[in-house]
Amino acid sequence: MKSRDRAGSRSRRSFLELTTATAAALGLGPIFLADVRRAIAAGEADAIHTVAAAKAKELAGGRPITLTVMQPSGSLGNVKPVAERFTAEAGIDFNYLEVPLGEINQKVLLEAVSRSGSFDLALPATFGIPDLAESGILVNLDPLAGKYEPADYNKDMLFSAGNYYKGSLYGYGTDGDAYLMFYLKDWLDDHDEKKRFGDKHGYELKVPDTWEQLDAMMAHFHQPDKGRYGGALFRTQYFIAWEWWVRFHAKGYFPFTDDMEPQINNEAGVEALAQLVAASKYLYPGARSNGLFENFEAYGEGDKFCNIGWGGTQKYLNSEKSKVRGRLAFGPTPGGMIGGKLLRTPYFNWGWNYVVSSASANQEIAYLFSLYACSPAMSTIAVRDPGGYFDPFRSNHYSDPQITEVYTKEFLVAHEDSMRNAIPDLYLKGQGEYFDQLRVNIAAADVGEKTPKQALDETAAAWNRITRRMGKRSQVVQWTFLKSIYPEGVRGVLKA
Amino acid sequence: MADATGAGRAEVSGAAGGAGGRRRTLLPRVPFNLALVLPAQLTVLSVALVPTLIVIWLALTDWQPTSGVPWWRAEFVWFWNFYDLWYDDRFIGALLRTLFVVTVCLTVELILALGLALLFLDEWPWRKVAVSIIILPMMIIPVDAANAFFMLFNERGPVNHIISLVLRRDYNFSWLSDPRWALLPIMLAEIWQWTPLMFLLVLTGLMNLPQNQVRAAMVLGASPARIFLKIMLPLLTPVILVALIVRGVETFKIFDPVYILTRGGPGAATETLSMFMYNGAFVYFRMGYVAAAALLVLVVVLTACVGLLHRLERHA
Repeated sequence: MKSRDRAGSRSRRSFLELTTATAAALGLGPIFLADVRRAIAAGEADAIHTVAAAKAKELAGGRPITLTVMQPSGSLGNVKPVAERFTAEAGIDFNYLEVPLGEINQKVLLEAVSRSGSFDLALPATFGIPDLAESGILVNLDPLAGKYEPADYNKDMLFSAGNYYKGSLYGYGTDGDAYLMFYLKDWLDDHDEKKRFGDKHGYELKVPDTWEQLDAMMAHFHQPDKGRYGGALFRTQYFIAWEWWVRFHAKGYFPFTDDMEPQINNEAGVEALAQLVAASKYLYPGARSNGLFENFEAYGEGDKFCNIGWGGTQKYLNSEKSKVRGRLAFGPTPGGMIGGKLLRTPYFNWGWNYVVSSASANQEIAYLFSLYACSPAMSTIAVRDPGGYFDPFRSNHYSDPQITEVYTKEFLVAHEDSMRNAIPDLYLKGQGEYFDQLRVNIAAADVGEKTPKQALDETAAAWNRITRRMGKRSQVVQWTFLKSIYPEGVRGVLKA
Repeated sequence: MADATGAGRAEVSGAAGGAGGRRRTLLPRVPFNLALVLPAQLTVLSVALVPTLIVIWLALTDWQPTSGVPWWRAEFVWFWNFYDLWYDDRFIGALLRTLFVVTVCLTVELILALGLALLFLDEWPWRKVAVSIIILPMMIIPVDAANAFFMLFNERGPVNHIISLVLRRDYNFSWLSDPRWALLPIMLAEIWQWTPLMFLLVLTGLMNLPQNQVRAAMVLGASPARIFLKIMLPLLTPVILVALIVRGVETFKIFDPVYILTRGGPGAATETLSMFMYNGAFVYFRMGYVAAAALLVLVVVLTACVGLLHRLERHA
């Protein structure tokens, strides 16, 4: 963090001037100086990427350099347009190494063992950063950020907690993956339904504030004999724990106490799981077996009241393939009433980060590309791709007309709100193991193999074993840091 | 012979490099025949032995790639991984589940293979075409075969559709997410794909049975069932044992259908040993723990194979 503080003491203009002066002092060619001057003339916000490209060009020194980017398959539409611009500006070429969506973190980690130098940059899922950082495969970017990152580079990034591990920078987030809700607006606005629901429950049928309200609405709309279902929430093993995570936080607790004792199996946790299991009755038949893309398609049929998802979900639902295009209302994930006040805990549970491989021969240039790709102007180009994974994550994205066309204005309002107030994922060493234990047990409870209490007791016991194995002291340090980056409004309410 | 050739080689090397009548050897004095096979033997040995030694070492350490230390400097924990495995419900569950899958799949595959092989023993029109069709499944990539079964057993897949037609009402049973039934599609996928291999092995065995005893029994008026049970089956036992060993070892490693159909879920209801190890290695990154599990599995498979081979030898 120290290097970041140092960076914070400089303004962007002074950074640009310093870069220019350094270049001049080093006697670099007129091309570089002209690039930087042009960048400054073009305006500060747009200049970040120009300067990064110019610096990369200088570092390359005319050598033919090719950066290999390991990325999740399906994200080429986000990465390539930006990389092509970088090639044009800096003369650096790119190789694209696509790996399956759910396997990229493992592939990056294997590089820590083989150190084959097979990639320079990678785009692992944000929640895997702690394990990757501990393995030594990621470059600690603090020194490079101290050297190149403008002071206010992160100012308009709506969520950057996943970029850090134990206070150090390990990658730039390039995807705003906050979890949020989708509802069929025409069902919510239906007069008869409003009246029937209001009469029965005593409150209005509208975008729900709490999980209890959502569950009641799903039950209200669930009429399988008429081909209508309450929802399309995930019940497959890989996704199921995320919903419980939000339900649990909304009951006012951190998952661990200050000294890393799990409290997921307390009364609130068990109640949250019992409610999740009960809500499964109101989901469509494929909820327990359909994966991510099947979920998009299923909800796109227009016969399910609600769904949970990300910007990527909306990209599909707002496409011509979907029958719900123009029929949707959006909201943050529901919350809970704590001490008479509504507590909402929107959740940043996925995301992709540009990271630099410690086995790369061109670490500095790779870093400069990360800086370039996540700059306001370049990240806007990346997010515009209607087929890719990257969702808005900088404030300027929300006013871009092309991005608005891809997502719709209504969605972007809900998305921005969720991004600003999102709680972080469990960014601890062993995240995969902690979460897999939770997933397996929650899935077992969902199908009736275990009671909610039994499932969470077993998870808590497994978590204790994991913490001991990972080193409790080290985990407590990171947990303390992690708690400190929960949004202020949430942090003050949650009990440890 | 060995001495003579060995001396000859020594002379050649001495002549090539020697000076002033002194014999010098560039290679150690090893018998000629041994020198010929040694490079190949050493290569094979290193290919087999080095990974095994690494696995044994890892099994005795607590190494995780996320620990940031190389595997050869991992913390030595003696037999703690084995101790933990013994008390790991998920491992024991995966082991028992795998044994169950192996037993069911091998039994069904053997019965089907025997029945089909008997049908194909005699010549009949289009027999060769039919054999080609029957062995088609085993030529399909396992992931594709598993994917086909995923589609078949999906809530809106053909299986539920057919049941709906029979019952004349909408039937949306979730085969892949019901802990009581989720193993069924996995085992069906395995049986469908690998019965042809068992069939080929058994058919080859049947076609090569000595015909004298069969003909003698027929002349003496024995019924076909009696001929099969009392003559053909005992003669076929060595082939069946080999088929069971080959398929048993393969089924013990079952992974593709589990990964594609259920990923071991719901909960851990369909988690087999391979899936357990995949999760251990690539989700938990517990390489030491998984190495210990792999060694235990190796012991189990080896014991079963040695038992079957022993029976095979007795038959021979």
